[in-house]
Amino acid sequence: MSFREKSAWISFLCILVVGGLWLADVIRVEFYGVRHGNPLVYFLGLVTALVVGEIVLHVAIALQSPHEARTPEDEREKLIDLKATRLAFYVMIAGGWLSIATIHLRFSGFDVSQCILGSIIIAELTKFGAQIALFRRDA
Amino acid sequence: MGKTIQNTIRRLRFDHREMTQQELADKIGVTRQTVNAIELGKYSPSLEVAFRIAEVFGMPLEQVFQYEVKRG
Repeated sequence: MSFREKSAWISFLCILVVGGLWLADVIRVEFYGVRHGNPLVYFLGLVTALVVGEIVLHVAIALQSPHEARTPEDEREKLIDLKATRLAFYVMIAGGWLSIATIHLRFSGFDVSQCILGSIIIAELTKFGAQIALFRRDA
Repeated sequence: MGKTIQNTIRRLRFDHREMTQQELADKIGVTRQTVNAIELGKYSPSLEVAFRIAEVFGMPLEQVFQYEVKRG
């Protein structure tokens, strides 16, 4: 497995875990009305965990294959990145429009922002998922 | 009617003292995985990379890559 594919796996799994924890908290609050502590502190904690997790794991794979880590993206890897980003863009646009539509369901400003955040998370998962699929297909 | 780009990179590597995919990748500035994808015909390289590959083997481009039209 190439360095860039490992990197895509790391980002995909980190976002999946952190996004899952965020979604679980949203469901807990919205459907069961259970709130543990300050929501901003919880959110910032998740963002910090995501950043630290990504850095630590990327440093680990860079130490494993330093030559590949130093090599800049080649044309095939750039093409894979572009294709995956284009797909994620459509997901993000759809999520944005759906989030706007929730205003008509009398969602609060906070809930709309949660919908937008959910769209960003799904778009990111789509991007890294598509990268992994394209790396696998062309391997 | 399908069109495919065939190549002889694998044989040329073998003829050049069994050059590895990594060695070729280092010479042309791409990753080993990209060389593998080109060899297997799963990725068509840019003209620039194609010329660099031909230059490494000291061959004209058309002896490294062939454009074939498959009928049926």
